[in-house]
Amino acid sequence: MGFLKKEAAPSENAVLEALRTVQDPDLHQDIVTLGFVKNLKIDNGNVEFAVELTTPACPVKDQLKAEAQNAVAKLPGVVSVIANMTFKVSSRLGPQARTLIPQVRNTIAVASGKGGVGKSTVAANLATALMKCGASVGLMDADVYGPSIPILMGAFEPPKVTQQERFIPPVMRGVKLISMAYFLPKDEAVIWRGPMLHKMIQQFLGEVDWGELDYLVIDLPPGTGDIQLSLCQTISLTGAVIVSTPQDLALEVASKAIAMFRKLKTPILGVVENMSYYVCSHCGKRDEIFGHGGARTASEKLGYPFLGEIPLSAVIRSRSDHGEPMVLDDDNNPYAQAFRSIASAVAAQISIFNHTPPPMVSIEQ
Amino acid sequence: MDFVPTSIKLSAPGGVAIHWNDGHQATYSYGYLRKNCPCATCRDKPPEVKTEPDPFPILGKGPIQVTGAAQIGHYAVQFNWNDGHSSGIYSFSYLREICPCEKCQANRAWL
Repeated sequence: MGFLKKEAAPSENAVLEALRTVQDPDLHQDIVTLGFVKNLKIDNGNVEFAVELTTPACPVKDQLKAEAQNAVAKLPGVVSVIANMTFKVSSRLGPQARTLIPQVRNTIAVASGKGGVGKSTVAANLATALMKCGASVGLMDADVYGPSIPILMGAFEPPKVTQQERFIPPVMRGVKLISMAYFLPKDEAVIWRGPMLHKMIQQFLGEVDWGELDYLVIDLPPGTGDIQLSLCQTISLTGAVIVSTPQDLALEVASKAIAMFRKLKTPILGVVENMSYYVCSHCGKRDEIFGHGGARTASEKLGYPFLGEIPLSAVIRSRSDHGEPMVLDDDNNPYAQAFRSIASAVAAQISIFNHTPPPMVSIEQ
Repeated sequence: MDFVPTSIKLSAPGGVAIHWNDGHQATYSYGYLRKNCPCATCRDKPPEVKTEPDPFPILGKGPIQVTGAAQIGHYAVQFNWNDGHSSGIYSFSYLREICPCEKCQANRAWL
């Protein structure tokens, strides 16, 4: 073996130059310029480095890892390459959020125009999917009229109250939760006017010990009322996810919700089509009960990303009623896969928004 | 294009100076801004706004002035006034709509 000329180990610069060929497909820049490459260590020909992504739910994580390792492996003198994929969720907080929820990096509202399209199911699965990827996640049930997050998450223990009169949210499978359901006896209803709803939103944000969160998912009631307005006024939301069924009626009303967020200059992260189609459990025939693809067409027409579709399924329904979000299933389950890819798409959209500097107003004396 | 202010200077000479993302800029006098408060109460009954200094400034609060401001969400700004009022939420599009500069006033004259 002695006759094989041993090549010199590559320099740090050579490795970085090689990594410059790896592009983040969403941010359209290479991973070195983006500052993702960390802890580069070269020991003889053994190269190890970390790639710090802006979200653990990155849809192209595996692709980036392979590209980065291949790029470095091609260099002369390299014996082995290890790319460790890590993450640090990016953030773009407005001035109000900085005082009210300083440790929450991103706030995602899940909204619809029409009721009954599956906002809460999407919200519960979105939060759980992000948590499963390794992010720290909170889920706020802002639907005071029909709070359903406790049932969907299977978490019925109410929050504890500290001596400083702050709420400690219950944690279910790693997701911190708050809901009006915890403060109401069963069979009681919230019958409130606007100012009370506004107060509730402020308390759910500012008086709950959310701690450090990468994502706070907020499940909204349907429509364009007091709660939506209060939320958009109280904090600068990172963005909103619009849920709709494919039928024309639902899409028509969803466009009202989109118009509201546009008016309040809240970014729209994209549109989810729920109850997209039904596969008969007996004959396997696919039925498009509400039509199909309407949300995709509508989102493309309006210029917003289409985040994905979820079929209508008795399995999702029964899991939801039992408080076990579908995404808890493994990768082979197509329903879990559908929710997971939506969560990745949402996380990717957030990273893109956070990468562009906000049109922030400077207010000076 | 969405008009968004890049900077809002509260005590510029002549009032509140706003610079916009399209390069436009204008100074809104305190009296003009207060009189055009978009809150429900002021829309219903226009506020009495004192813009001249009091000839006998013993008890009066003096002419109207902005004492502070905060950004509201992504879309608006809220001003605090020395007459105690603060409930008006001025959306960026509304502020642009009522821009007091000569050019914008001339444009509005057509409407």
